[in-house]
Amino acid sequence: MNSAVQLYATTLLVYLAVNLIASWALDIQFGVTGVLNFGFILFQSAGAYTAALLSLGPARASGGFQQYIGGWQLPFPLPIVGAILVGAALGWLVGWVGLRRLRGDFQAVVLLVVSVVATLVVESVPGFLNGDAGLSLIPKPLSGVAGLTGVTYAWAYVGLCFLSCGLVAILVARLVHSPYGRVLRAVRENDALADAMGRSSTRARLQVFVLGGALAALSGALLVEFTTAWAPSGWLYPETFVYFTIVIIGGRASLPGVAVGAALIAVGIQQAVQLLPIGADATVLASLQWVVIGLLTLAFLWWRPQGLIPERVRRFGAPSPSTPLAAEKLSEGAGS
Amino acid sequence: MTELVSALGFGLVTAAILSVSAVGFTLQYSVSNVLNLAFVSIMTASGFVAYGLIVAGLNLWLAIALASLVGGCLSALINWGIYTPFIRRGTSTFGMVIVTISTALIGQNLIEAAVGPGFFSFGVATGRAVDVGGLVLTGDQVITMGIALVLMAATYVGLEYTRLGRAMRALSVNPALARACGVDTGRVVALAWFASGVLAGAGGALLFLDTATFSVTTGSYFLIVIIAAAVFGGVGSARGAFLGALILGVATEVAGAYWIPELKDVVAFAVLVAVLLVRPRGLFSEIATLRQAVG
Repeated sequence: MNSAVQLYATTLLVYLAVNLIASWALDIQFGVTGVLNFGFILFQSAGAYTAALLSLGPARASGGFQQYIGGWQLPFPLPIVGAILVGAALGWLVGWVGLRRLRGDFQAVVLLVVSVVATLVVESVPGFLNGDAGLSLIPKPLSGVAGLTGVTYAWAYVGLCFLSCGLVAILVARLVHSPYGRVLRAVRENDALADAMGRSSTRARLQVFVLGGALAALSGALLVEFTTAWAPSGWLYPETFVYFTIVIIGGRASLPGVAVGAALIAVGIQQAVQLLPIGADATVLASLQWVVIGLLTLAFLWWRPQGLIPERVRRFGAPSPSTPLAAEKLSEGAGS
Repeated sequence: MTELVSALGFGLVTAAILSVSAVGFTLQYSVSNVLNLAFVSIMTASGFVAYGLIVAGLNLWLAIALASLVGGCLSALINWGIYTPFIRRGTSTFGMVIVTISTALIGQNLIEAAVGPGFFSFGVATGRAVDVGGLVLTGDQVITMGIALVLMAATYVGLEYTRLGRAMRALSVNPALARACGVDTGRVVALAWFASGVLAGAGGALLFLDTATFSVTTGSYFLIVIIAAAVFGGVGSARGAFLGALILGVATEVAGAYWIPELKDVVAFAVLVAVLLVRPRGLFSEIATLRQAVG
């Protein structure tokens, strides 16, 4: 392969790994626990900005090229660790306020509003995170170290991403299949019952907000250290629904399903648009891509609400016809 | 002092637009129990219809009336074509939010594909300036407040004193009982969608008329204040939404005059957070109970 093709391949692979992590993070919240976090993209973005601020160094050093608060130049794993911590803290904060006694659907919209407000603040306060233009020239971690350059470096970064992705997969899989995972699914199926059994549904929701926030931030940090730039236009509120579509198409609470969804949507559709005949208006194409994503979600909710690879529900004791599935909850569920 | 007076004037105009939108949003939510995120897309679509008609030389009043009608038809059509089938299948309120956000995404991007991502403007404000005791308003602003006042009065009378309004209120409190009492729920819900769409259409047209430069995304920022007003007044209460809109409309403009103007919507958000922390059911809460969607 020549180096251009290799760079293209590595970019795709990094995107795939990042989207896998983010999709699983959302799946814990939405698929497993049944929390509609319509502000999900904010957590990925918080991770990206944190990692950027922790590796850019002080703003003065850029000679006024970009303005932002803080700015440190920390060695490699620390920006990513910092991003994870900020994501978790933000998850706790937003969850603590947003998951108050509102009906689930109104909760979701309040979280959507949180996401819109965050964009508004970052865009309107230029000294905060360099406003509209966003941060750029973010140094790549470990570049030059061990003689890694160009394509070799890109492949090494792919390795780092998939290593993180593997660790996240193990973590999420163990979590979902643990007794704690059963608590989360109980909250999804019937939160009043979970409360009655002594498992606080509010606490469980807050916990998945923290965990999901941390993982989303990790995905953002890995992405920004590769693309070296991050701006508000990349995390407008509709971006959240790419991940919702991934989880719905793949299969809620199904880890392999969500992986398939991530590959199909985040990589497949994005690339398919690139291959469309040149000459079509780029902005129209971008709009049509969103229309396709919306239509796909509706189509799956109508024809295959359980997704491509449905969740495998373990049944204990005699199989009972009334055992509810996540998918049935969405299509035929009780009205809570 | 003059700064405060002019901010109050702008605040009343914003409150007028916001009250039309927030009441429309809440009315439909309380009657059908579906949280319709495509509401903003309907506002945007109607706003662009009004813009197109006015640029084409149509009378301002007629353009706003037609835009409202388009909004009503769009709203009824979306409910009939997308939401009702999903509700008939037994989709939960939880699932319906995803259906409505998908619809909003489709609508928003179809509009963007049609008009492009750029900014639009009506140009210089038309009509004579009106001076009410130091409060200088443009002709468009007076028209905006007049239309909002008429629409709010019509909504109030409609809900309080007509058979249909009583049926809508009954449906929002207890749909099963309303049906048992012989209320034709399907028809009433469809009419509620239409009425809410008319308010959305008028709100969208007035919003664009009041905004110096607007684009496809103007509506999504307005969603912040709509939701804040709806939650502020108590989810599902049309009267609460109206009061919330009045207070937030004035509060955001006054705060914007003294602070960073771009961040005036953030004030509404801060109020929303405060309400959630102090009184999560809203200041004038009536319902917000858990119940099934009605189709």
